[in-house]
Amino acid sequence: MNRMRKVCVVAIAGLIASTAVPAIAADTITVASWGGTYQEAQTKAFFKPTADALGITIKEDTTNGLDDVRLQVTGNAVKWDITELGADECARGSKEGLFEKLDYGIIDKSGINPKLVHDDWVGISYTSVVLIYRTDVFGDKGPKTWADFWNVEKFPGRRALSSSQATETLSVAALASGLPIDKVYPVDIDGALKSVDKIRGHVDAWWTSGAQAMQLVKDGEVDMASIWNGRAGTLKKEGAPVSFSFDQGVLTADCMVIPKGAKNKEAAMKALAMFVSPQLQANLPLYVDNGPVNEKAFETGKIPPERIKDINSAPENVKKQVLQDAEFWRDNLVEATEKFNNLIQQ
Amino acid sequence: MSAQSALLKEIAGPAGQNLNAQELRADARREQLRLLALLAPSLFLVCAIIIVPIGWLFWLSLFDESGALSAANYARFFEQASYIKTFITTFKVAFIVTGACVLLGYPLAYMLSQLPRRAASICLIFVILPFWTSVLVRTYAWLVILQRKGLINSWLIDLGVISQPLPLANNFAGVVIGMTHILLPFLVLPLYASMKTIDTDCLRAGMNLGASPAATFRQIFFPLSLPGLASGVVIVFVLCLGFFVTPALMGGGKVVMWAMRMEQTTSLYSNWGAGAALGVVLLVVTLALLGLFQWLLGARTTGVWSSR
Amino acid sequence: MSIAPSALPISMRRIEKRFGSVPVLRDLNLDVEAGEFLTLLGPSGSGKTTLLMILAGFVRANGGSIKVGGDEIITTPPHRRNIGMVFQNYALFPHMNVFHNIAFPLKQRGVAAAETAQRVEKALELVKLQGLGERRVDQLSGGQRQRVALARAIVFEPRIVLMDEPLSALDKGLREHMQIELRALHRRLGMTTVYVTHDQREAITMSDRIAVMNGGRIEQLDQPETLYAAPKTQFVAGFIGESNFVPVESRNGSVWYEDRRIQTEAPTPPAGPHLMVVRPEKLRLVTATEPSAGINVLDATVSDIIYQGDSFVCYASLRDGRQLTLRDYCRSDVLARLPAPGQPIMLGLDAKDTILVAAEG
Repeated sequence: MNRMRKVCVVAIAGLIASTAVPAIAADTITVASWGGTYQEAQTKAFFKPTADALGITIKEDTTNGLDDVRLQVTGNAVKWDITELGADECARGSKEGLFEKLDYGIIDKSGINPKLVHDDWVGISYTSVVLIYRTDVFGDKGPKTWADFWNVEKFPGRRALSSSQATETLSVAALASGLPIDKVYPVDIDGALKSVDKIRGHVDAWWTSGAQAMQLVKDGEVDMASIWNGRAGTLKKEGAPVSFSFDQGVLTADCMVIPKGAKNKEAAMKALAMFVSPQLQANLPLYVDNGPVNEKAFETGKIPPERIKDINSAPENVKKQVLQDAEFWRDNLVEATEKFNNLIQQ
Repeated sequence: MSAQSALLKEIAGPAGQNLNAQELRADARREQLRLLALLAPSLFLVCAIIIVPIGWLFWLSLFDESGALSAANYARFFEQASYIKTFITTFKVAFIVTGACVLLGYPLAYMLSQLPRRAASICLIFVILPFWTSVLVRTYAWLVILQRKGLINSWLIDLGVISQPLPLANNFAGVVIGMTHILLPFLVLPLYASMKTIDTDCLRAGMNLGASPAATFRQIFFPLSLPGLASGVVIVFVLCLGFFVTPALMGGGKVVMWAMRMEQTTSLYSNWGAGAALGVVLLVVTLALLGLFQWLLGARTTGVWSSR
Repeated sequence: MSIAPSALPISMRRIEKRFGSVPVLRDLNLDVEAGEFLTLLGPSGSGKTTLLMILAGFVRANGGSIKVGGDEIITTPPHRRNIGMVFQNYALFPHMNVFHNIAFPLKQRGVAAAETAQRVEKALELVKLQGLGERRVDQLSGGQRQRVALARAIVFEPRIVLMDEPLSALDKGLREHMQIELRALHRRLGMTTVYVTHDQREAITMSDRIAVMNGGRIEQLDQPETLYAAPKTQFVAGFIGESNFVPVESRNGSVWYEDRRIQTEAPTPPAGPHLMVVRPEKLRLVTATEPSAGINVLDATVSDIIYQGDSFVCYASLRDGRQLTLRDYCRSDVLARLPAPGQPIMLGLDAKDTILVAAEG
């Protein structure tokens, strides 16, 4: 009786194991990104061309960020072969040892800002934090710089900043205090907080998601705000009376990693090499406002010249902006965020 | 040797011992075991979905980022001012929302309890209807109504009642309005149920004995509705403490409640303990409050009415 | 504590009440004398409780007048009527102890604390619940709750006390005991009392007068003895006491059952079909040798005899198959000639006990 039962258990376990490993594993990888229009653009720009070129199947999933990766890796249940993260998350995850080493023999890193090329993570696209204002309130004489945004006498009106992205708001605050863009890093956290302290009484809403930032501006709940350029571009396309530019923008990079223990590392490496190649990188701005991380993309001729000036990572625009330093925030994120929260929740 | 002597023997038995005592005891034990076996699935379920996760949460909260046993996750509440602030905000919101629910819900439940059965069931559907829509959708709907260029402000400005829009959204007021709307049914339903059980003859007796309708309400109806009110208040209050979506959307980032803080902390720190500690603190404080409440209420309902 | 001096008469005139289009009370007139114990007796749906509710002010009549001691109260709100009421389910306030339940009407009237305590104590004494003031209501037995409800209804010395089937929730023994106590209490306090019940035995035991109600009307208003001895309608005869009805006919100035002339002390009713009301205890077994003057004799056959210790019941059928019941005490002379089932017997009914009522529908 007992032996019979044991045999049964083993048989069932075997059955489960055999179905758990898909027969087509070698040909399939799973890529996770943020979902929404951004991921749809990535599908068209990166995933589909790569799948076609390599003859593999790319399955897609969505992620909430580093927590998901940590849960999968520490729980020994890695579902994804490649996942997108914010650059500061990549830096933190790298320190925690959550990712596989990247093989730069396969991945060509030329054209990518060296600050975004690391042993186990590589940049994939750029987002900018920009200053947006409503033209129905200010005409074309709205706040152009963060110092203007901070100037409540000259530019009266309702304001929104991000509270969830403390690091971006601190960079913005540093710019507002008058620092030139090449002197923002390393951020003087206490100085930036002092700058935040000056404006916090005039902030009518602290947003915690891109959708919320967009809604605040769109519904006229605020007259000016910090906002991600993708959302700002959408507002403009929808015909909202808004204006923004890349002057004093804060560039934040997204990166891609291969989670430690990914089932199909080799295929993932080849796919990732394709994703960052100039040819596919040049596809991205055709579908979405997030700029390509590989500056050689602008030399491919794929991007129409009149489109280039609207892309945040176009060489002309990059010069006007501050690049968020992922490794700086890796080391200072917790302290800076707690201090930031203490300040704005006073 | 006859049937009679056998009977005598049976009747006599060993002195001081009940007939079949052992068998009866064994039977009682078997019955207890069977009952326990019947209970086992639910005990297992309670253990699996309540005891184990909470125990795990508590366990996690004791470890710092490096995985070492430490009180760092709890010490943070005292080191970082924003945690205490969030905690206070959370209870402030809970108190105000509960109060608003009582002020709105009591008259509503009272009206429902006085309506004829048919009309009451129709009205009850309207009370329950919002349950069928997601909290997120309802919160956004409130945003549309309350914001600066929302329905209320546009109407009031068009009517010339106000010249500047009222600050109704993206602040404390917005959070209170949104949460009150969502939590109102949780107060009304138990309250209504308890009001329905109040004997109309008691109210008639009150009036018959010389109490005006207002006095009858105050001295008889209201005290008798207190148990229902109390359960409604407890449900609403406890739900408030864990609210996330509505304050996150309606507070404009200026009203940070405990659950929002948990989310922030969980993603900020790479150890689960940081967020777990917040959960443990909320759980402990909530339980303590519930205990206090029960104690107060128990003293009130089991004790005699003392307003001589 | 005496209420008698302040007891007031009630005069109800042309009370009308409809629930929707259903008439519940129709053109009802009723006078209750000061200090009287009057019972509204009737089956459920007869309108007796509605009438009580109109008296208390909980139900608004469609028309009519109620005067208490000459003052019109038909539009007075219940809390200003100064009428005490005992409810069927007692309606004690569950959140108050016995003392506060009884003190409630005094508190509403602004009676000082010391006097309240005194009066509550007296009321408790009156209903034999001394020392139970601090008890919670849910710690009391049914009978004790009944007494608290009673004490609460009389403690403020109301002009009138209404009772809505107050004893119906008690078991039989306790109910009979409480009937006697209520009666005694009424004699002692002398308050005008309107009592509602569907239990005819209770009504007969307790009342000065009984108003028998049927279909929203008062069928007969009389003292219990009169109601029993001289019911005016078939309904009253059937509702009060046990009765069998025998169809009779009035013709040529006499009353006839089949070919037998019925002797009665009541005046001969108008010509047409009538009913003879036969009470089981008024029937007796007679022999052919007895003189038949002043006795109506009916021939019957015994269907069954039931021995009940102190008494027996004999079920007999008339020639036309109609059943009659005879009840008598087990005296030895009667027992000696007890008939057996199947045996023909003669049933005698004294002319003075012979009641005739009009046959209804």
